[in-house]
Amino acid sequence: MSEKKKKISRRKFLVRGGLGTVGVLAVGTYLFRSPIRTAIAGVVNTADTPYMGNTDTPVIWFEITKDNTVILHSPKVEMGQGTFTSLAQMAADELEVSMEQISVVHATSASGNMDGFATGGSTSVSALWVPIRELAATMREMLKAEAANNLGVETNGLTVADGIVSSGEKTITYAEVANGVTEWEVSDTPQLKPLEDYKFIGKPIARVDLKDKVFGAPIFGMDASMPDMFYGAVVRPSHIGAKYKGADTSKAAKMPGVVKIVEEEDFVGVVANSLIEAENAKAAIKVKWDAEKTWQTSDIKKLIEVGKGEAFVIQKEGDAKGVFEDGDTIIVSEYWSPIGAHAQLEPSGALAHVEGDKATVMISTQVVNITRDEIAKRLNFDKENVNIVPTFLGGGFGRRLHTPNGIQAALLSKAVGKPVKCFFTRKEEFQNDTFRPPTHHVLKAKLAEDGMIEAIEHNVSSGDVAFGSPMLPSIAEPILGADLGAWRGGMIQYGAIPNHSAISWRVKLPFATSWWRSLGLLANTFAIESFMDELAVKAGKNPVEFRLAQIQDDERGKRLKSVIEAAVEKAGYKDEVIDGRAMGLAASTDANTPCAHVVEVSIENKEIKVHRVTCAMDPGLAVNPDQVRAQCEGSIIMGMSAALFEKMEVQDGELTPTIYGPYQMALMKHAPKEIDVILLQGTDTPGAVGEPPMGPIGAALANAIFRLTGERLREIPLTLT
Amino acid sequence: MNVNGVSHTVNMTDENTPLLWVVRDVLDLKGTKFGCGKAACGACTLHVDGEAVRSCSYAIKFAEGKNITTIEGLGNEENPHPVQQAWIEEVVPQCGYCQPGFMMATAALLDMVPNPTDEDIDKNIINVCRCATYYRMRKAIHRAAALKSEKQPTETQSS
Amino acid sequence: MKAKITFILPFLFTAGIILAINIKPNPGEYQPIIYESGNSSEAKEAFDKMMDVLTHERCMNCHPNDNVPKQGEDSHPHYFDMARGENNMGFQATKCTTCHQKENNNYSGVPGAPHWSLAPAAMGWQGLSRTEIAQKLLNKETNGGKNHAELIKHMTEDELVLWAWEPGVDANGTPRELPPVSKAEFKTAVELWFENGAVIPSK
Repeated sequence: MSEKKKKISRRKFLVRGGLGTVGVLAVGTYLFRSPIRTAIAGVVNTADTPYMGNTDTPVIWFEITKDNTVILHSPKVEMGQGTFTSLAQMAADELEVSMEQISVVHATSASGNMDGFATGGSTSVSALWVPIRELAATMREMLKAEAANNLGVETNGLTVADGIVSSGEKTITYAEVANGVTEWEVSDTPQLKPLEDYKFIGKPIARVDLKDKVFGAPIFGMDASMPDMFYGAVVRPSHIGAKYKGADTSKAAKMPGVVKIVEEEDFVGVVANSLIEAENAKAAIKVKWDAEKTWQTSDIKKLIEVGKGEAFVIQKEGDAKGVFEDGDTIIVSEYWSPIGAHAQLEPSGALAHVEGDKATVMISTQVVNITRDEIAKRLNFDKENVNIVPTFLGGGFGRRLHTPNGIQAALLSKAVGKPVKCFFTRKEEFQNDTFRPPTHHVLKAKLAEDGMIEAIEHNVSSGDVAFGSPMLPSIAEPILGADLGAWRGGMIQYGAIPNHSAISWRVKLPFATSWWRSLGLLANTFAIESFMDELAVKAGKNPVEFRLAQIQDDERGKRLKSVIEAAVEKAGYKDEVIDGRAMGLAASTDANTPCAHVVEVSIENKEIKVHRVTCAMDPGLAVNPDQVRAQCEGSIIMGMSAALFEKMEVQDGELTPTIYGPYQMALMKHAPKEIDVILLQGTDTPGAVGEPPMGPIGAALANAIFRLTGERLREIPLTLT
Repeated sequence: MNVNGVSHTVNMTDENTPLLWVVRDVLDLKGTKFGCGKAACGACTLHVDGEAVRSCSYAIKFAEGKNITTIEGLGNEENPHPVQQAWIEEVVPQCGYCQPGFMMATAALLDMVPNPTDEDIDKNIINVCRCATYYRMRKAIHRAAALKSEKQPTETQSS
Repeated sequence: MKAKITFILPFLFTAGIILAINIKPNPGEYQPIIYESGNSSEAKEAFDKMMDVLTHERCMNCHPNDNVPKQGEDSHPHYFDMARGENNMGFQATKCTTCHQKENNNYSGVPGAPHWSLAPAAMGWQGLSRTEIAQKLLNKETNGGKNHAELIKHMTEDELVLWAWEPGVDANGTPRELPPVSKAEFKTAVELWFENGAVIPSK
């Protein structure tokens, strides 16, 4: 795809003053690539992530304050993945300010700085890598040019450091430069600095939100408040497929603290003086639900079987089917993964204030634009009159890629004419999640005489991930055919195998399934890398060499081989049980970031104990290597949690369990005491970080357990018999 | 009751209102978090008379006359608690939502066990972190124990 | 004739003793004698009622045979690996009282009663027969040194024991199952059983 030449539009920079303590405001516009391209499946599997920004109106990116600090308005939200810090580093390096001088806030939709995509898919840093540095560099040049006017010197005689422009004899700060200027000459976008000149990019800078999070600052959506605020609660279904048919609110209306009962066509809610009073009144509302069928886990498991849904070929090299038809020994294995809950600690919810034809909504969201558009549509307001104020997320993981609860909060506020804060209970979170869909995999292979794979085919059957999400225009479904979220990680990455293919089977489930950190990568890699291990064992080959020999020799292949070799070497991988411990290896490539894990496992008191994980990953350029490590550590343990403990069931129509504890997750005691992360750099641009390490962990564990017990576990959560 | 060294009198119509909501919504101290409301996740952990308590399951009527410490009272930027200092040194938080609960639980542990073993940590620190920052947390807990014992001798000398 | 009788009596006496020594029955073959006080069936019924309560999960969950409290109607191990600790009250900093207060909490579903804790290990009943539980109950070495009066007081007046009849609701708001015998009936049964000598009925 040809690169459009990126240029700052020659629109004038606006300056707005008089905003509280902010002396000066500088805004910038930027022409981004066409939004249509993200709908094309190829994008997902490569690092080619365009940033889809607002191109129509001036947007606020940077503010310069009287104290000569810079506020970066980030269109990407911060949910723990460290995006704010990386963006600050990138901006500070080109803007020539110190890390102490730059702070990051969430860009409100009113600021115009809205992301047309989302915060998700491990794309934030890679998408903004070039744009934010170019914006910052251009602004620096503009400030220098204005400083030159101010100081009466030539621009090229000026140097900048820590937000201070110097002519050698005289200095002037950015704040002084910008003060009072109303018309700016837009400089040409300068050449960006060479990587080796960066002071912050590539360094393990401490998180910019660290202190707020350690000292308990009220930064999350759940912490939001507005004057004269009320509290709302909405009755949510507990059964799959339950449709709202009306409610008896007579008892609830009389309960203490109740301000108003709000009945809409699709839900009923209550507004009260306090959260507890709202919840108590909600409990007294009798809702009529209409559910056609009472589902059980076994029903879902039957629906999800390979062969039941709609098949789409997502990968075809050579002719695996033809090879299989020859009738020789074909090895077939099946794998399963369960329904997964997000279980993020901050529940979904919003604080909305609707006044006349305007609305302000404070909300933890990964899709500021969709949140705004959906609220505007339901309230019949102009989009410009709905201001979304994103808050720090107490966990995203894909849970907040759709936020219909914002609509509910807005309608409650509209009904009482005051701000209303409305959040889910934990039970409602567990029962109204947009789950990670359960999957079923059938893998087939034929080994050649030399033990290498002659043909391999991966069938993955899954509920929807991308389809049904408001992020994807409905037109994308027929174009794409297969759900690009469900087959993520589902292709065979061993390109040297002469015949390899992957087929994605689409199943429509009766409950909502969508994006869960790493999407199909977790289940797909578990299946494929377990199968690769099975084949290696059958062929009598060492699992490391078996893999390396079947990876193709192009750049992508070389990078994958490098991480496998690095992990194996650092872990001291041994394909045998020593002192009751065994190792397991697995590797995957996600969005052009290859990652390999070697786990070291023992079994104690019938429990799987993970002692050590060695992770080698090549995310390209690591903007903040410490935060990349943190994402690896977290992703590894979260992947372990899914591989060893987590599952949702369906019991008499209800998704269960509905509380932590029964929904078993990894705790402190389960976390490996040793996690070694080796970062390789195969390219000079930053790639995906947050999700790739989720891939290999399940299979690595299953492979280690096989060596310990001789038993192949093909279903997660892995359960010893 | 006394909250972070400040005396408060609150009038609640429902004496069984969980302390969590009084702290958050009446006293406007948002550092203590709601994660589940069922004492399962520990995000609501604070101290009552120096002991770790899950405030979502503690009726306000029991707080009469007690000393409550929340994350805001544990320490601040000018004077951080050793646990907070360690948390900063190890760069523990990711999304950060569960972290105050963990820090309060850890502070309580260090009060009782100045030099906790990994087993002590496994048994006592049982909150839920979905971002799974446990690996760094464990390091931070050991670091906090070291920082705390470094502080102690100085305090004894000056008192 | 007189000489024969004089000889026979000592002979018989000696023979009797010799027989007695050689055909001594095993102590275990003796059946305990149930003292017929006119109310033995009542006492047995009282024992059964008392045991119906003590073996119900409301009591049994905190009288485990290991160090792990049990929860719920299915008596699963306490979540999050909470366990006895050193003093029956949990771990050093994360204790029973971190979550359990002196009353049930209807919002969280966490049960509560004064001095909430595990029963001491000596009072572990899980897996024992009714007879064995009763033996442990009466044995001063395993019951905390209580005499009968103190036992009756503990079983009928202790607030943690009586919690079983007001066990509150669980996390879903569902009321916990009550013991099969009412509190009043239990009290009567305990008193009656002790009144009748605290006899453990045979099988």
